[in-house]
Amino acid sequence: MTRITPELIFEKGYDGMKNNFVPKMDVEEVDLNAILPPEFQREDIDLPNIPEFTIVRHFVNLSEKNHSLDRSIYPLGSCTMKYNPRINEVTARLPGFAQIHPLQEENDGAMELIYNLGEQLREICGMDAFTMNPAAGAHGELTGILIFKKYFESKGLKKDKIIVPDSAHGTNPASSVMAGYSIIELKSNEFGEIPLDQLEFAMQGGDVAGLMLTNPNTVGIFDRNITKITEIVHKYGGLCYYDGANLNPIMGVSRPGEMGFDIIHLNLHKTFATPHGGGGPGAGPVGVKEELIPYLPCPQIVKGTQGLACIEQSDTSLGRVRSFWGNFGVLVKAYTYIKALGAEGIKRAANMSVVNANYLRSQLQDIYDIPYNANGRFNMHEFVMDCHLPNGVNAEDVAKSLLDRDLYAPTIYFPLVLHEPMMVEPTETESQRDLDKLITALREIYELAKINPEQLKFAPHKTPVGRLDNTYAARKPVLKK
Amino acid sequence: MDYVPHDDTEVSKMLAAIGVNSIDELYQDIPKNLLIDRLNLDAGLSEPDLLKEITELSQKNTVYSSSFLGAGSYYHYIPSLVDFVISRSQFYSAYTPYQAEASQGFLQAIFEYQSAISRLTELDVTNASMYDGASALAEAATLTTFHTRKNKVILIEGIHPEYIDTVKTYCWGRSIEVEIIPLDQLEHKITPDIAGVCFQSPNFFGEIENAEEIVNLVKNVNSKTLVVQCMTDPTCLGVLTPPGKTGVDVFVAEGQSFGLPTSFGGPSLGIFAVRKKYMRKMPGRLIGLTKEINGEREGFVLTLQAREQHIRREKALSNICSNQSLCMLATLVYLVSMGKTGLKEIANQNFQKTHYLKQKIAQIPGYKVLGEKSTYNEFVVKCPNFAKLASSCKKHGILPPLELTKYFPERENEALICVTEQNTKAQLDEFLTLAKEAAL
Repeated sequence: MTRITPELIFEKGYDGMKNNFVPKMDVEEVDLNAILPPEFQREDIDLPNIPEFTIVRHFVNLSEKNHSLDRSIYPLGSCTMKYNPRINEVTARLPGFAQIHPLQEENDGAMELIYNLGEQLREICGMDAFTMNPAAGAHGELTGILIFKKYFESKGLKKDKIIVPDSAHGTNPASSVMAGYSIIELKSNEFGEIPLDQLEFAMQGGDVAGLMLTNPNTVGIFDRNITKITEIVHKYGGLCYYDGANLNPIMGVSRPGEMGFDIIHLNLHKTFATPHGGGGPGAGPVGVKEELIPYLPCPQIVKGTQGLACIEQSDTSLGRVRSFWGNFGVLVKAYTYIKALGAEGIKRAANMSVVNANYLRSQLQDIYDIPYNANGRFNMHEFVMDCHLPNGVNAEDVAKSLLDRDLYAPTIYFPLVLHEPMMVEPTETESQRDLDKLITALREIYELAKINPEQLKFAPHKTPVGRLDNTYAARKPVLKK
Repeated sequence: MDYVPHDDTEVSKMLAAIGVNSIDELYQDIPKNLLIDRLNLDAGLSEPDLLKEITELSQKNTVYSSSFLGAGSYYHYIPSLVDFVISRSQFYSAYTPYQAEASQGFLQAIFEYQSAISRLTELDVTNASMYDGASALAEAATLTTFHTRKNKVILIEGIHPEYIDTVKTYCWGRSIEVEIIPLDQLEHKITPDIAGVCFQSPNFFGEIENAEEIVNLVKNVNSKTLVVQCMTDPTCLGVLTPPGKTGVDVFVAEGQSFGLPTSFGGPSLGIFAVRKKYMRKMPGRLIGLTKEINGEREGFVLTLQAREQHIRREKALSNICSNQSLCMLATLVYLVSMGKTGLKEIANQNFQKTHYLKQKIAQIPGYKVLGEKSTYNEFVVKCPNFAKLASSCKKHGILPPLELTKYFPERENEALICVTEQNTKAQLDEFLTLAKEAAL
């Protein structure tokens, strides 16, 4: 058989044509060599000229090979794939937002939006101040952990370890290391909860800066001991960091600040409905309690006696984490979303994310192994199933088989507290009818595992390509053409 | 307006299926004292009311009809098809392509982006993008220390001040030593224990540095020391010698100029390209070509993930997980829309129009162009009265240049002027007239 290669955009050009995207050259042109030494000039660029319509067709065809939330449920656990309201796209593109320069002085509307979004998030999270600078959740984590570092440095305390549970997102330990910390990993219990005795033992070492925690955790369970956890950390002088990846089910219901957290980052692209865009752009605002405000990154927008003011630099701040203000366009979308929902809407969204997750669980738990269902506890926004199906059908097979049913697959092989984890987060914007499609598919796959496991093990069959070879890709990487 | 589809009947049915009587029961794990009644936020708004309110807020920002401000964010023309492509649901509402078979569209687009940037820079490997130019430079500085196992980086003056601050923050996090020196001291300061040397060209003041000379200076002292070049406006690559040709090891740039609006500084993307030998030390996502396990069709997957946080956790080289995918897509569409001819013409126009203004403003009594080197689309002018020039620009709907005092308090009345292909001759002449008046 001959290899069937995808047709790349670079094969669609014509040397002798060009598009009309360059304005008229209306100044008198001088010989370029007179203003730029020839040795600084390149010869050719290996990029084709491609007719505009060919480009449009190319990308429309590519897009049709891509599953998306707007097509059907996209139940990736811990990713909160909720509907992205179209109004948000309109507001972010208003000329007064999209066309303004980050260094222009006439920016009252932008400053007000950033400040007001911070106020909204303060109220939702129970924190005292927010920075909008971080560009993504992971960037927010790094910023938050650098706040830890600055805080302890300013107190003259040497603390070089951070506690992270084994069920945490990989970014937690990775971010901590970027701030110079080493990791103490705590083994969580079957509910993904923190064992208090081990936490206390770890804190007693005296060199621990604090704890990073997601609550509800990655198996979707709210840690009932949350107040005791933060008390233990504080008792030994540590700080508590809240990874806001899973804020969605508790916004408007309970506040991380009141649970005892000192620092929080949010993922506006998850909780606040800005589009995921195939993996960004997101935004990762970081909120802190009063005592930590001096260490926030710059620039900071603050309310002074004369209205809003900007702190460009300060001696106590940890410095800058990126250029300019942050992913402003994303902030506009999140602000629009919060304004649309208001106090009631935010709570209802949280509530329904919990109802949807528990409904899904209730319709699957008789056949799928959902480890904590016997204990009468409910999940928050997501749950994890251990996908040991008959005849050795595993989580990957189930995932690929969902693709054949025109549904996207939940997160698989995370968190690795189970062997064949599948982490399901439906979000509040799926109707019962849409949830039932996923339930029907998952039940059908289970039945098929009994009678025709081979079909599942070789899935997907209906996607643009069949199951791809990851090992082959890594062995001799081809990363460009 | 909460975008929740269910009505009360459906909710009751679902609660019954779960086996509870109320939503509150589902929250039984949350201690009572942590529950709140109602957020102290306004009530939600209907879409028309919302649009009205937010439009009014946007109008508190001034939108100018022409601009002479750059300094890291640029007004270039964006072809109409760019926003059309990135607005397609299939791209905009998808996420990280974990399920490759159902994500071939985005994966191929990223692969094409990696290819397009590698072709433009003539470097071997490009990642799927970073947050922005500043954080990309910070990660590049970190990479040099991973590769050399040395712990000090040198930054050459002329790097965007906000990028320098960002590098300092990241390096402080990892206890990496940073020294900032003027270019003419590099020869004296470079020692074999340096992990990397970072420079910007065209630099913050628009000047084009001799990249090859910098590379030679560094490599003569220690061939293993990495040289990192950064750029705030990579449209200049339409004309300038690409980093792959000058011997630079790592290239990073702010990608906003390639098809993204200024949008008050974000979102955009950080471009990150390296020579092959640094591939396994580079941060960020990479897409590779592969084939079916049981077939002969080729396809694309996330690859070399063993560098990344979700596999390596605390041993990962960076914590970055998602990239700036949709911005990256805009950049790809921009680059292929322009094509090689368009890219050359844009770069040439930026050179030419900037040269025009530079020549003319130098002839106005009281104005002095500073610096001897060739410049791309920015240059520094000493003005007789910057404040007067700026205020008269604003009166005429023109966004004035940056006064360098923003970053260098001692450099009063020095303007960093930016000209792009978007500035017409009429706009340039109007600016010159205002400059003349401001000198009186």
